[in-house]
Amino acid sequence: MTRITRLQLLLMLLPALLCIAPFVATLVLIGRFSLSAEPAAIEGFSLHNFAVLAEPFYFGAFLTTLRLASIATLIVIVLAVPIALLMASITKSWLRRLMSTLILLPLFLNLLIQSYGWIMLLGPAGLANRLLLDSGLTKVPLRFLFSETGVLIGLVQTSLPLAVFPIFVGMSAISKDYLEAAASLGGGAWSSLRSIILPLLTPSIVAAASIAFAYNASAFAVPLLLGGRRVQMLGVVIRDQIAPLLDFAGASATGVMLILVTTAAMTLGGIMARRASARA
Amino acid sequence: MMIRTDSIAFKTIMTVLAVIGVAIATLPIFAIVLMSFSPTTEMRFPPEALSLHWYGEALALFNGGAGDASAWSALTTSLLVGLSVMVISILVCVPLSYVLMRQSTSWNRVIETLVTLPLTFPLVALGLAFLLLAEALPFDIGIARLVIPHLTLAMPFVLRNCLSALNGIGTDIEDAAISLGSSPIRAAIDVILPLMRPGIIAGMTFAFVVSFNEFTVTFFMYTIDFSTLPLWMYSRTVSSLDPTALALSSLIIVVDIVIILAIDRIAGGTKNIL
Repeated sequence: MTRITRLQLLLMLLPALLCIAPFVATLVLIGRFSLSAEPAAIEGFSLHNFAVLAEPFYFGAFLTTLRLASIATLIVIVLAVPIALLMASITKSWLRRLMSTLILLPLFLNLLIQSYGWIMLLGPAGLANRLLLDSGLTKVPLRFLFSETGVLIGLVQTSLPLAVFPIFVGMSAISKDYLEAAASLGGGAWSSLRSIILPLLTPSIVAAASIAFAYNASAFAVPLLLGGRRVQMLGVVIRDQIAPLLDFAGASATGVMLILVTTAAMTLGGIMARRASARA
Repeated sequence: MMIRTDSIAFKTIMTVLAVIGVAIATLPIFAIVLMSFSPTTEMRFPPEALSLHWYGEALALFNGGAGDASAWSALTTSLLVGLSVMVISILVCVPLSYVLMRQSTSWNRVIETLVTLPLTFPLVALGLAFLLLAEALPFDIGIARLVIPHLTLAMPFVLRNCLSALNGIGTDIEDAAISLGSSPIRAAIDVILPLMRPGIIAGMTFAFVVSFNEFTVTFFMYTIDFSTLPLWMYSRTVSSLDPTALALSSLIIVVDIVIILAIDRIAGGTKNIL
């Protein structure tokens, strides 16, 4: 290890500290605002904003958020394990690169553009409804968009990359010998999945699930663009508290709630993943 | 025989699930690109013929005086914010990664945690929190209103790329330089920095792509003076979707794909992304 002077060290850390400062300030501010007695200014202390969250409308939004995030996370994991298996089995490097790019794209591409795609596929005049109408399965177009179905599909799409990559990395770490040993002992593919692959993958799956859940629970663009007014998730509720209601203190309380939910999911996931890897 | 049918069923089910997953991830993107070539305004999927008409319309929006002034201003804001985030984040993360990897200070853990925290932080809470901060300030901070939140979001990716670049560089070259009389800082600048170049370029590219595509936090932060391309597109299409927006989206999709492939090439794999 090479030593540098304290001053040099400080100079190298200073830019980072300056860049973290606004983020830390926002954390303090949102926490303090959530306890404000006034809706549009920081004044006095009150737990009123959190008490409001227990009212039917806000509590309903809280439950909708947990429910949609849980279902989407479950679907994402069921899809992510086979995708990771497939990616691990691809030997051609260009094909694997193409596949990882395709999976990764939804994570970076702005969510507005992705919602345009769903509108064309699932809208009243979209591909899905055209196929259903032409085949005579339904007489009227089905409502996929601006419903929980649309939001669920959007959540699955946007959180899929977050789940695929941790599981893929976990899978790459499992030695091929294990799989060959399982096969040579006469275990079928299902039993080797159940008794070898899944137990070894549990830490990665748990980690992937907690990330996907946290991401889905705090979704904003997906329920805004694909749920319309019908699906109230906490992210959209925060927007409504700010924009028409000008209740910054209430919005802060909802925001703090959301931060607690995602932090709890990540912490719990971390603990469970550590336990699972200790067992494996 | 049992095992054979069993394994065929396994392969089939796993492949079907993987195909469904890949389809959900990519179908909307293919739909946009395909529809952007539709010759009519009627959004009938799939299009009956192909045309480049809407690409002309999309590009005309940015055609100086003849185009749409708000589109041009949104594009320049997006580029300016993206480039600022790119430059600032790398100037911050290169020295930071050096300290984190090579110097053990008692602050290391705290700083690393704080820099990477926004990655798993609810974006909507972040948007609200930055809005509260900007409104609490007694003065107008101009475009920094967008640059600061974007920087917060991009830094985890940039730091990860810098750390992994440094991780691959052994301390022996550096030690050799120092034993030949170079100071630790000189050794870092002359020896380590050039070796970190692929990681630095990948990190900068990441920073740009994160900023250029950001929607949620910017939704809370934008003003009449400073709006980005995604927000401009949102306000344009909030009531109805038009094919020009699809052509523009397709162009953005192409830019994003090229950038992701480039990062993959430069940094040798997309492993540092998540």
